[in-house]
Amino acid sequence: MDAPARPWPPPPPVGAYAEERELFRLLQNMLEELLIHKPDDPIQYMINHLKQNNDDAPRICVLGPPASGKTTAAMWLCKHLDAIRISQETLLFKEILTLTEEAKAYKERKQKIPNALWANLIQERLSNVDCIKQGWILEGFPENQEQAWMLQSSGIIPRHIVVLYAPDTVLIERNSGKRLDPFTEEVYHTTFDWPSDLLVQQRLVKPEDLSEQEMSKKLLEYHRNFPGIFQIYQKVLKLINADQPSVDVLSQVLTYVQTRHRSAAPFTPRILFCGPPGSGKSLQAALIAQKYGVVNICCGQLLKEAVADKTKLGELVKPYIDNGYPVPDNLVMKILAKRLNALDCVTNGWVLYGFPRDIEQGEQLQKSHIMPNRVFFFNLPCESIVERLSQRRIDPITGERYHTTFRPAPTPEIQARLRQNPKDEEENVEKRVEIYYRNVKELEDFYEDAFYINADQDPHVVFEIIESCIIKPLPCKKLKSL
Amino acid sequence: MAAGEQQSRDYLQRHRIPELLHRLAALLLYHRPERPREFLIQALERVKAGRRAEGEYPYLMDEANLAAMFELLDVVGQGHITPAQYREALKTLGLSTEDLQFGDYGNITLDVFKEEVKKKMLESWAVY
Repeated sequence: MDAPARPWPPPPPVGAYAEERELFRLLQNMLEELLIHKPDDPIQYMINHLKQNNDDAPRICVLGPPASGKTTAAMWLCKHLDAIRISQETLLFKEILTLTEEAKAYKERKQKIPNALWANLIQERLSNVDCIKQGWILEGFPENQEQAWMLQSSGIIPRHIVVLYAPDTVLIERNSGKRLDPFTEEVYHTTFDWPSDLLVQQRLVKPEDLSEQEMSKKLLEYHRNFPGIFQIYQKVLKLINADQPSVDVLSQVLTYVQTRHRSAAPFTPRILFCGPPGSGKSLQAALIAQKYGVVNICCGQLLKEAVADKTKLGELVKPYIDNGYPVPDNLVMKILAKRLNALDCVTNGWVLYGFPRDIEQGEQLQKSHIMPNRVFFFNLPCESIVERLSQRRIDPITGERYHTTFRPAPTPEIQARLRQNPKDEEENVEKRVEIYYRNVKELEDFYEDAFYINADQDPHVVFEIIESCIIKPLPCKKLKSL
Repeated sequence: MAAGEQQSRDYLQRHRIPELLHRLAALLLYHRPERPREFLIQALERVKAGRRAEGEYPYLMDEANLAAMFELLDVVGQGHITPAQYREALKTLGLSTEDLQFGDYGNITLDVFKEEVKKKMLESWAVY
């Protein structure tokens, strides 16, 4: 083999490479497209598909009853994601498509535009190059099950569906105050969302058919059609309450469309927990390790194990631990790297806590090619930490941890032999917490993709949040800066 | 099985898509290029060129690799391997073992091995 030509130091293992470059997704998307379009010349088709490079382009539908704020949400998403917005109005009045005339004729005759015509219009518009490159946001489409089926059979499959909902009474009230800006097509409201610009105020017009009867007719139709749509798209659909301040609604919508759906790509979890003492790192790590079979590594424990095993490195570390000094970073790093590169860690993945504590350690970790793919920061108020730690007791015989109020010892016998670790006395706790918060800021900047967890909750709630972050692919952060 | 699913399966089989994707994945993992997307485009362009007989297919194994493989099979260094070993080698490389003209006996030397494997590889790409 061509061994000498290999670069040195050795390239990261195959699995890590595939994961980092998302090879699975690359090939999966290609297969998906092939299956949808079934081209006669797959090779050429694949080349064209790869050149388009649009795996991350948004494909979103924003649905909801009239006056729920679809237009506002869709326009805002467009600005952020740089995608193309398509709605009934844009299809009828802005675009020049071959079928537009036909659709307009229906409209002039005050007839309903048939579903098939809508579907064809949408399909024609979406096959334009801008929609393929930048992605699209369909507003108010599909309206009913038939349209959804038609879109699906022509290969238009949205990745995210946002459904806004609000009580009917709220919608009817909102509808009566609706105002349109004929220039930018933005929607305003006389009381809730009045534009600050005088110029805009003047040119606002009252949309037609604001009567309550018309509105309730539309609402009824929407409610009749929605279950059919829900049934088709339930896996990618998210309901968002529209009866909130618009900023909240929009931020929820954005968070949802940035999430990615679970994929079947092989994944080795390499998890890092950072948090102040008493935030539940060791408990959460134990739960994760138990459920997913990853290797649970506590840095302090690892050092003590090395000392107890009387390994060469352990002998070097021993004097520091015995005298209560912090162990030098390079020694810790050596022991840690050896453990994390062991076969069980490489194949099953790991969850590490207690290291890194500051940015230098984080950089060292990166230098030795140890890259966590999920990083969590646990946050909780200082009082809760003191409350948790100052009453922590340890059973010297079994090593089990108890808490005088939250988890009292089961029998008086055990109760009698419980001891408190001197580290857990109140003044010591405060010192440790202060040291943690001094260093964590830089570390938070260092790990950009980290998740922040409110650790001041029930352990199982925290566990569920962590779990969902681990299982789902990282949300895509590609945002157009405004 | 739904009609659509059957159609899709037929389509995949007709164009040998699963095999193609396997090969592409193997190429990617072996070369570990900096930009996988561009690399794939190049690989597919080469398949296309090869189809028009204008260039080389993107091979995973070159001549040196094949020689090394032969040496591994020929443990005692007698200069030839048995047809059974040859068949196993083809399987390892993911090539078809149908219509082999060797019987159960006979010896395959290094040169024959190289030539045959290359021919097989060419055949396997030529279907696209």
